[in-house]
Amino acid sequence: MARIDIQDASVSYFLRKRGGIGKSTERDAVGAQIIVGRRYLEIAALKNLTLSLKDGDRVGLVGVNGSGKSTLLKLCAGALAAQSGTVTIEGKVSPQFRLGAGIRPNLSGRRNAELKCLYMGRPQRSIPKYVEEVKALSGLGGYFELPVETYSAGMRSRLVMSLMRLVRADILIMDEWINAADASVNETANTLQAELIGQSSILILASHSQRVLSEWTEKLIWLDQGEVRAMGTVQEVFPEYQKWTGKRK
Amino acid sequence: MKLWQTVRPYLSGCVRFARISYLEVKSDNQGTHLGLLWVPISTLIFTAMLALVFRHSDTMPLAGFFLYVLSGYVFWNFIAESISGSTDIIQKRLEFAIHNNLSLAELFGKLLVDRLFVYFLNLVPLVLFTLILIPENFGPNIFLFAPFLLLAVVTSLSVSYLINLLTVFFPDLTALIKVGTRFMFFASPVFWGVADGATGARQLLVQYNPAAYYLDLSRQVFGIQPFVGESWVVAAIISLVLCVIGIIAFRQSEGFVRNVR
Repeated sequence: MARIDIQDASVSYFLRKRGGIGKSTERDAVGAQIIVGRRYLEIAALKNLTLSLKDGDRVGLVGVNGSGKSTLLKLCAGALAAQSGTVTIEGKVSPQFRLGAGIRPNLSGRRNAELKCLYMGRPQRSIPKYVEEVKALSGLGGYFELPVETYSAGMRSRLVMSLMRLVRADILIMDEWINAADASVNETANTLQAELIGQSSILILASHSQRVLSEWTEKLIWLDQGEVRAMGTVQEVFPEYQKWTGKRK
Repeated sequence: MKLWQTVRPYLSGCVRFARISYLEVKSDNQGTHLGLLWVPISTLIFTAMLALVFRHSDTMPLAGFFLYVLSGYVFWNFIAESISGSTDIIQKRLEFAIHNNLSLAELFGKLLVDRLFVYFLNLVPLVLFTLILIPENFGPNIFLFAPFLLLAVVTSLSVSYLINLLTVFFPDLTALIKVGTRFMFFASPVFWGVADGATGARQLLVQYNPAAYYLDLSRQVFGIQPFVGESWVVAAIISLVLCVIGIIAFRQSEGFVRNVR
C-alpha cells in the first residue's frame, strides 16, 4: 500500500552568495521569495504545504514557473528534504523528472538498458530478455549499440520511453517531458505511460497542458509561490488557473 | 537464520552494485583490445616505473621493493579515490541516483563498491606476484584481510561523505582537496618507507599521516611487511573515530544537504 503524507512542510533551496546579491531579492512575475542570509540566499520554494495521497490517487500539479511544482515532485522523490513539517512516503518511488536524467550518454543504448535493469533490481538472469524487449520497443535498430550521445533528440526520447518498461513503482512522479518527441514516439510513449500509470498506486504529474492533465489525472493542485492556491478536479481548477494567468498577462 | 535474513538484502545489493561497477568499468575501456585488463596493467606499469626510479637503497632487493610499491600503490588508489573522487557526489550524481531508485546512502554505498571493484581488480596481480616472488611470506596473515577490508570500507565510506559535505559548504575546498591528495601521495609511504633509512621528515610523515597506517596494514596482510599490532590498533582507532563522525555528520546533514546548491 502506497501513501504520501506531507504535513505543514516547508522546503527551501540554499544558494551560496555570488555577485549581484542586491538585485536577487527583486520580485517579479515568477519564482519564490528569495531571503538573503549571511552566507546563503534562501529560496523558499514550498511554504507550509499539507498534502495527503493514498492508493489510487492521480494528481496533477499546475502553476507558473517557480511556483514549487518541481520542488514538490523532488520532495516526494527524496531528492529534497523539508526544513520543517513532516514528510511520510510509503511505497517504492520512481521519479521521471527530466528526459534522460537516469542514463549515461557515453554508453550505448544496450549498456544503459542493462544498467537500468540492475538499478531497478531486475533478476540478473532475466536481463538479456528485458534488454531485447527495450530494443524492440525503442525501434532503434543498430543505433541501440551506439553511444547515446550520438543519438538525435528523437532517438534519445525513444530510448528513454522504452526504458520506462523496466520501471516498477508504487508512486510515479513525473515532470512534463512526455511530449518532447515526435508523433510516432508519442504513440509508444502513451502506451508505455498508460501501462506504467496503470501499475502504479499513486501518480503525481506536473504539467502546463490541460489535455495531459485531463488525460492522466483526476485531482489538480494549483501551486502559487510555494503554496497551494486551489485543489479540486481538473475541470474545476484548470479554468480558474487559466483565467488567473490570463489576467496576469 | 535470522542473521542471514538481515544480511541477505545488503549482500544482494552489493552483488548488484558490483555487477554495475563491472559493466561501467568495462564500458570505460570499450573499444580497446584489452578492455578491463587495462586497470591492473596500468597499475603495474606505473608501479614498475616507481620501483625503478625510486629504488635508492640496496637494503631491499628489487623484487621485494617492487612488491612493496605495488601493494602500496594498489591501496593508495583506493585511498585517493575515496578522497578526491568524493568532492562532487551530491552536487553531480544525486539526480542520476534518484532516477535510478537510489537513496543518498545507497549512492555512497554504490560508489564504495565501485572503488572496491577497482581495488580487487588491482589485487589480482598483487596476489600473483606475491605468490611468485615471495611465496614463503604468503602465510596466515592473509586471514587479516577480512578485518583489514572492514576497516577500509568503514573508513572509505566515512571519509567520502565527510569530504563531500565539506565541499558542499566550502566549494573552494574541491581544488584544495585534489591538490592535497596529490601531495599526500608523496607524503605517504607508497614508494618509500622507514625501512630504507627514513629519518626526520619521513619519520614524522609515517607517524602522523593516517594513510601510512592503512598502507602498512595492506602490506602486512600479504606478508610484504611483518605484522605490527600497533598499526592495527592505530588504524582501528582512526576508523572508529571517522566512522562516528561520519554517522553523526550524515544524521545531522541528511535533512538539508540535498537542498544546498
